[in-house]
Amino acid sequence: MVSAFFNHWLTQDALVLACFSLVFLLLRAGARNERWQRAWVRMKRDRAGLIALAFVLLYLTIGALEILRIPANGGGTRSILDVFTAGVATEKSYSAPLGDKLLDSVRGEKVIGRHLLGTDLLGKDVFVQMLKACRTALIIGGMTSAIYVPLGALLGILAGYFRRRVDDAIQYIYTTLASIPEILLLVAIIMCSPWGKGLGTMSIALGVTGWVGLCRLIRGETMRQAERQYVAAAHALGQTHWKIIVRHLMPNVMHLVLISAVLGFSNIVLAEAILSYLGVGAPVGTASWGVMIDAGRTELGRDPLVWWNITAATTALFGLVLSLNILGDSLRSAFDPKRS
Amino acid sequence: MFRLPAIILSFLVAAFICGCDNDPNPAPYHKTRADGSPWRVRYMREPSDPKSFDPQFAYTVPDLQYMEPVYDRLLEYHPMKSDPIELMAGMLEEVPKKELQPDGKVNYLCRLKRDIHFHDDPCFPGGKGREVIAADVHYVLQRIADPKVESPYFAPLEQHVIGLHEAREKAIAKTGKFDYATPVSGFELLDSHTFRIRLIDSYPQLLFWMAMNTMSPVAREAVEYYDGETHDGKVRPKFRFYMVGQGPFRMRDYTPRRAIRYERVEGYHTNVFPSDGFPPEKAEWLKQFAGKPLPLFDELHILIVQETIPNFVLGRQGYLDSISADKDNFAAIITADQKLTPKYKARGMGLEKSGLPSTFFLSFNMQDPVVGKNVKLRKALACACDMRAYVEIFYNGVAPVSNQLVPRGLYGYDRNYVDPNGYNMEKAKRLLAEAGYPEGRDAKTGEQLVLTVEEPVESTEYRQRAEYQQRMFEALGIKIKVNENTFARVIERLEQGNFQLGDGTGWALDYPDPENFFMLFYSKNFPREGANYCRYSRPEFDQAYEQMAQMDNGPERLALIAKMNAMLAEDCPTIWQFDKAFYIATQPWARWTHNSPMIEYGYNKYHQVDTGQREKLRADWNRKPIWPPMALGGLLLAGIIYAVRWNRRHA
Amino acid sequence: MLSYLVRRLLYAVPILLGVIFITFLLDNVMMSPESKASRVLGPKGTGAVRREWIHNRGLDQPLPKQFVNYVGNLAKLEFGTSWVTGRELREVFLKGAGPSLAITIPGFIAAFFASVGLALFQVFVRNSPLDRGLTLLSVALMSVPTMVYVIFTQAFLALGLSYFPAYGFGDVGSGMLRFIALPIVIFMLINLGHDARLFRAIFLEEMGQDYIRTAQAKGLSNARVLGVHVFKNGLIAIITLVVAELPRLVLGSLLIESLFGIPGLGNVLVQAIQTGDQPVIMVSVFLGSVLYLGAFILTDILYALADPRIRLS
Repeated sequence: MVSAFFNHWLTQDALVLACFSLVFLLLRAGARNERWQRAWVRMKRDRAGLIALAFVLLYLTIGALEILRIPANGGGTRSILDVFTAGVATEKSYSAPLGDKLLDSVRGEKVIGRHLLGTDLLGKDVFVQMLKACRTALIIGGMTSAIYVPLGALLGILAGYFRRRVDDAIQYIYTTLASIPEILLLVAIIMCSPWGKGLGTMSIALGVTGWVGLCRLIRGETMRQAERQYVAAAHALGQTHWKIIVRHLMPNVMHLVLISAVLGFSNIVLAEAILSYLGVGAPVGTASWGVMIDAGRTELGRDPLVWWNITAATTALFGLVLSLNILGDSLRSAFDPKRS
Repeated sequence: MFRLPAIILSFLVAAFICGCDNDPNPAPYHKTRADGSPWRVRYMREPSDPKSFDPQFAYTVPDLQYMEPVYDRLLEYHPMKSDPIELMAGMLEEVPKKELQPDGKVNYLCRLKRDIHFHDDPCFPGGKGREVIAADVHYVLQRIADPKVESPYFAPLEQHVIGLHEAREKAIAKTGKFDYATPVSGFELLDSHTFRIRLIDSYPQLLFWMAMNTMSPVAREAVEYYDGETHDGKVRPKFRFYMVGQGPFRMRDYTPRRAIRYERVEGYHTNVFPSDGFPPEKAEWLKQFAGKPLPLFDELHILIVQETIPNFVLGRQGYLDSISADKDNFAAIITADQKLTPKYKARGMGLEKSGLPSTFFLSFNMQDPVVGKNVKLRKALACACDMRAYVEIFYNGVAPVSNQLVPRGLYGYDRNYVDPNGYNMEKAKRLLAEAGYPEGRDAKTGEQLVLTVEEPVESTEYRQRAEYQQRMFEALGIKIKVNENTFARVIERLEQGNFQLGDGTGWALDYPDPENFFMLFYSKNFPREGANYCRYSRPEFDQAYEQMAQMDNGPERLALIAKMNAMLAEDCPTIWQFDKAFYIATQPWARWTHNSPMIEYGYNKYHQVDTGQREKLRADWNRKPIWPPMALGGLLLAGIIYAVRWNRRHA
Repeated sequence: MLSYLVRRLLYAVPILLGVIFITFLLDNVMMSPESKASRVLGPKGTGAVRREWIHNRGLDQPLPKQFVNYVGNLAKLEFGTSWVTGRELREVFLKGAGPSLAITIPGFIAAFFASVGLALFQVFVRNSPLDRGLTLLSVALMSVPTMVYVIFTQAFLALGLSYFPAYGFGDVGSGMLRFIALPIVIFMLINLGHDARLFRAIFLEEMGQDYIRTAQAKGLSNARVLGVHVFKNGLIAIITLVVAELPRLVLGSLLIESLFGIPGLGNVLVQAIQTGDQPVIMVSVFLGSVLYLGAFILTDILYALADPRIRLS
């Protein structure tokens, strides 16, 4: 019964929308901060950063369109993106971009419809697959961030603020995690996980391994902030630790969290590609850039050569990661103009 | 300050220049033979590392290939005769004749060839290989019975060879360890080279086992010497990983995940190149080899390449002597009418179409509450599978779609058979409705039917297959959950009976007899003992199987096979997929001399290589363009010039 | 110096224990002994056999005791055997180390020099359009997945232009150089974007220092200032960052080895992942961490040696 409730498309859509609104609300809460407002003013002058931001939003929108589901005609559900792409035909197998024949067919079989970026082995339109894969990237990126950002930020603040034992303990945990090669730890977690492989397991593994860098950064910044006079003043006024952390420290380190989350997102997207190659990535039937790139491995060596599948996936992935990197850099210089 | 980096840099540049050769093979052991003629090397590829070199233990196809050059077998499949496949003498002087006993038991009298020696090895006194004698064959039977050896051949043989089962019971009764003083009573030693094997019942398949590595003689000295322990400060490998054979080659080097290299053994004379049975299209060319001593080349190099692409590329570059056609290069090599494409024909390549008869199918779990109890549902699913389209995608339409258990090329295959459960979407939908799931929904509750398919997914190709299979079923309106696993895990789940549908199941023959296939549905072969993963059980089928297994080929046997096919069609425990077709393009310098579909047995010693032609063609096929390094150099130079000028301007 | 070294090593002990604890947690707690036994024994493992297997390996003992055994085995370098091939893992890892090092070390050095070279070049023409273009290129290079580099270089340099072997490996003396050439190129590509950007920033910071101004005022040529002073002083900062390269090194060699059939540890690992060979993965985690810790300590020491301002006590 419970699973039926959670598997219902309406519940899932509601959850997704709730997540989006939460991120939006968090950003709006941040924007009340004066520092953030100043940064925004600077950011508005950075054209590259704004273009990158637009691209990131575009990717998010496409991903959201694929995540949100509505009832399909013949029972079951389909995504909103499916509605837009309903007219795209499925071929029998490979066909070249805008080609009118199937690639391998010796009989010269014609394709049903034209495909901007050709079709893949199973005859699916590569352009549509490329768009659909935004969903995988968004889900993994989102779920992983939802795990590691609060974890890293909170532990970082705690370590930086309380010092001593707390700091020692947290430092010990992250030094230990950091001394395990990340990719090995990821694989080990996914292999041993009792839930089997899937997007959820992947996110948990990425989240568990990913918080170290953020925690270290926040810890340092918190230490610096904690030495400032306003914290001492708050202490003198007899404010509780909790209040000091929430009222004073958090707003002053949040911009670092934002920058790290943006840059971290790009790392997660890159990691997904590697995990798909290793065979611990997205499950069968899920469009993913990593899987498309992995398929390209054989497609580039075959005869006749199939280049469009891997090129499309690489370009899409590259676009997102590059946008995130530029956006991250731009945010950093907006928040901290001296250091760049 | 700059000296060390400079040295390192020049080393790297040197590495680069040396790197500009793309031959992945190491230098051969010798340049010429003792008599000055060129040293001939054959380059082959296998997809995985050997699991074992122990003839009585090893079972997988790659392992058989790795052992074949080193271990000769008692009998062999004639390398030229394919229709029908024919046995010929190997280490035995002739193919043994059946001796029917008055009590219904059957004997085979076998005579070993004289003067066959094991290879020289430190395990023998004085390092000199001793002669192979009949007692070695007895030792082999004992090893099969020894539980420590874990021979997979014990189960099929104990039902037929007299005394094999008792030998195991008796020999381990006292200490739990196999006592090699206990004889196998079904083996009768007549003289040093003659022996008789006595069987409980008529079992003509015994001769096929003799043609497998199962009964290849091994030396007791070697088994006991190579124990994996340290002796005099040196670790000896385990016998499972070390070969002391009697065949045409010896293994010289083995690097895991890289390569295995063999060198010919001087004075091999067990067999010579056959003089009969040449296929007409090659007869003229093959005549030159007739009666020649074997092997025809000196060194065998097996590269271990997991990926399919390097295999194709190395073949294209001329570094492998053959290219096996798979999904990604099928279209390049083979045309729709099953010939070489003009491009590869122009290179002088040849095409070998023979293949080990094997078939693939999806298995239903007959004990599953949903699919096992609902024959109409099974039939509906079977009718929904358009295997022609599947084969079109994954095998370029060349692998034949299968419609019965026995694959093409094997006795018992019925050319005119029509499978009532073949692809027919209308029928599939109708059957599904009759099964209680109209439009894929439960007629009573209205819920969508969800089935789980176990799929072996170890690479992208398997992923794509799984997805396609899913799509075919889902066209019925049902929902398919795909359970991805490694191949080993899928088999494990099938063996535990923990599944609804299992993909990736199939059978490649052990020996060319239909019994080898029908046993897959024999109710005494349920998993843990056998490979009846479907858990198909029907007394009439069992009865027909038992009868058929002991028969010689003939119309009566065919009638029984037809009856069994009809039963399988009626109960539909499987969805037939395709018979795998093996296509191998051979290089012009390494035309295949043999013509047998039993290619899994290697036939290495019969192969030939034309070294001179290879050298020439390789050089032709690996011309390297010089514009890319020039362009790169130009770019660097332009950068430097720009930098200097810019600096001068802004100094 | 010695006491510093000892302290640094002692500091690594609790961390190593932590790593072992994590692998133990994954290996023995997250996965039940029963599911382990059924994976290893497969179809042959009926109830009794399975129980015996679990008992023989001490998996039915209380967890703390198991942990002690676990640590003991690792300390004795007894890694057990592979589930899939049945080979001794110690032997497997020893044999795989050679080829792995043969490609990673030259690859690392080459990547390092290429990045430093590019960074110095950019500082040389700083703020020119070319510099800005190259910075953008660096960000772009960073945004390409490692796998794509490996796949495309293999496709073009080995398959398309046949400069390098498409597959395989050879020992010293049987043409090893030609097999490590392409991995070197790939390592350069993987690291170039990230490193050049980082190193450029470091060198630029160094350019702003007073002593550089003095040197320039003395009339030293731009090239000389860069090549000697900036390079030498920037290097100290770079050394500490080099450890951060290790993850990409591990990942790169993982992909390169499995795609080019180099029989190293990466290849062992990828095979283990594809076939679900858990012991291999756990031992890799442990050995990888030992390697990392070693590298961290080494950098600390190098850093201390290179910069006299850091006192060793």
